[in-house]
Amino acid sequence: MNPEMEAPRVRRSPWTGLPGFFGTESRVQLHETPSLVSALVIQVIFLVFVWLLAPPSYRVYAVVGAIVFSIFTVGERVQNEAAYIRLDHKLNELYHASPLAPESYFVGMAAGVLVLYLPPVLMLVVILELVHPLTALPALVFLASLAGIWLFSSSMGYIISTLFRDLRAIWPYSSLLFNLFGVLPPVFYPLAAFPGPLQPVALLMPPSAVAALMMDVMGVAPLAHGPLILAVGGLLVECVGVTLLGLRWARRSAREGG
Amino acid sequence: MTTPALSAREVKKVYRPRNRPEVPALKGVSLEVGRGERVGLLGRNGAGKTTFLKIASTLLRPTSGEITIFGHDVMAHPEEVRPLIAVVPQEGKPFFHLTPREQVYTYLRTRGFSRESARTRTEEAIEQMGLGEVADRLNVTLSGGQMQRAMVATIIATEAPLLFLDEPTIGMDPFARRGVWDSLRRLTRKGSTILLTTHYLDEAEVLSDHIYIVDRGKVLAAGTAEELKRKTGGTLRVSIRGANHMREGFRSFGDLIVEDDTFHIITEPPRVPEIMQTALDQKLSVTVGPVTLEEAFLRLVGRSINDES
Repeated sequence: MNPEMEAPRVRRSPWTGLPGFFGTESRVQLHETPSLVSALVIQVIFLVFVWLLAPPSYRVYAVVGAIVFSIFTVGERVQNEAAYIRLDHKLNELYHASPLAPESYFVGMAAGVLVLYLPPVLMLVVILELVHPLTALPALVFLASLAGIWLFSSSMGYIISTLFRDLRAIWPYSSLLFNLFGVLPPVFYPLAAFPGPLQPVALLMPPSAVAALMMDVMGVAPLAHGPLILAVGGLLVECVGVTLLGLRWARRSAREGG
Repeated sequence: MTTPALSAREVKKVYRPRNRPEVPALKGVSLEVGRGERVGLLGRNGAGKTTFLKIASTLLRPTSGEITIFGHDVMAHPEEVRPLIAVVPQEGKPFFHLTPREQVYTYLRTRGFSRESARTRTEEAIEQMGLGEVADRLNVTLSGGQMQRAMVATIIATEAPLLFLDEPTIGMDPFARRGVWDSLRRLTRKGSTILLTTHYLDEAEVLSDHIYIVDRGKVLAAGTAEELKRKTGGTLRVSIRGANHMREGFRSFGDLIVEDDTFHIITEPPRVPEIMQTALDQKLSVTVGPVTLEEAFLRLVGRSINDES
C-alpha cells in the first residue's frame, strides 16, 4: 500500500484549514468563561464612569470609543494567545507541521479571539442605539472600519508575539502598546480635545481615526476635507499594509531560522 | 525502487545566537527511513535529535543539506510535505481549555477530515489512549501523563503517512506507555512510518526496527538493537559481584565494565562456560544476562566522548 494515499486530499491555498482552526480557537476562547465575563465587565465599568463624570454630549464618544477599543484589544489577546501556545504549549509545531496554512493559523486565531469580544461589542451596540441610533451608511462605515481595526491589531499582535522567547517579557510591551494606540489618542473623547498640532497624528492612528470618522458620518463632529482624507486614507493604507505584512509574517515565521 | 519515507543527506545546522558564539547543532546527519518502518533516534540531551526532527518536519531551516519526505524536498516544498506528516512536539501540551475529545476532533477537522471521519477517528484514538473517562474534562484538569496521552491521541488519529514523535511517552506510567507502543505498532501495520526520539531505551528497543544513535550532531552508530548491542563486543553480560580486585583475571574474556562493587564482562555465548568455570574455581557468584540497549548506548556514546577528549 502507498502510505501517501492515506493523507486526506486537501486543496492547498493560504486559507487551507481556516474553518477548522477557527472552530478550535473559538472553542478555546468560549471555554474561558472568566475572560468572557471580564471582557464584558470592563466595558460596563468604563461606561459607568463616563455616565457619571462626563457631560451627556460625551456619551456617544464613549460608547463608540468603547466599541473601537474592544475590537482593538483583540490584537492584545491574539498576541498573548499566539505567544502562549507557541512558547508554553508548543502547539504551533503541531499545527505548522500539518496541512493548515500558516495564514489560516493566524487568521483563525484572530477570528476565534474575536468571538470572545462579540458579546460585549453587541451590548455596546445596543447602548449606542439608545444614545445615538445609527442609520444605514454610518452602520456600514462602522462595520467596515471595525473589520479594518480587527485585522490591523490582530496582525500587529501576531507579529509582536513572534519576536519574543519569554512569555513574561511580552506582557509589559503589550499593555503599553495597546494603551498607547487605543486609550491615549482621542478614541473615547472628541478629536477637538486633543492638542491641535498633534491631531494629524491622531488621525493616522487607526483607533482614533475610526472614532473621528464615525463622529463625522454620524453627524456628531464633522471633519474638514483634509482631515477626512487623512483619516480614511491612513486607515486604508495602514489596515491593508499591516494585514498583508501579518499574513506574510505568519508564513515566514512558520519555519524558524528563515 | 520505492522512494523512502525520509531521506536525509549531510544535514547541518548551526545556531547563531546574537552576542553569543555559534552553536553547531548538526554536523552532517545522513539517514534513511523506509516506508512502514519504526525508527528510533537516540542520543544524550543536546545531541541534535530535536533539531533534526524540527528540520525534517518543516519547522526549522537547516544551514545546509537535503531532506526529502516521500520524495518531496522539505526545504523547497514544505507545503507538499506537511499533509504527509504529523508531529508530537517535545514538551508539547494540548489546549488547556479544550477537552481531549475536542482537541483530537478539532485537529482532525483542521487537517481536512470530514465530520464523520473525524468523529470516528477521535473515538478510536481516545479509546486507544485510555482517555475514555476523562475525554470530556478540560485538559487543564488532567495529570501530566494524561495530557501527554491527549497529545499522542491527537497525532495517532491522523494516521499520517509519516509521524514524528519527540519523546512521546514522557511522564506516562508503564501501562500508558505500553498503550502508546501498541498504537504505534498498529499504525505501522496500516502503512504509516514512525520516527521517534526517546530517552527510554527499553522503549526504543521494543519499538524500533532500526536505531540511529546521534551524538554531538553526528550519527555515531546505526543498526537494529541487536546489531548495536553487538557493537559493544558481545551479546551477553556476565556480572561478578564483590570481586573487583580479581577483575584483571577476566579481561581476556571480553570488554570489562566496572560498576560499584560489580564488574561486567561483555562477551559472546561460547565464552560463557569458560568464564563460569573460572569464577566457580575462585568461589565467585556469577549472573548472566543479555546485553541491554542501554549498556550498548552507554558504551558507544561513552567511547565517543573518550575519543573526542
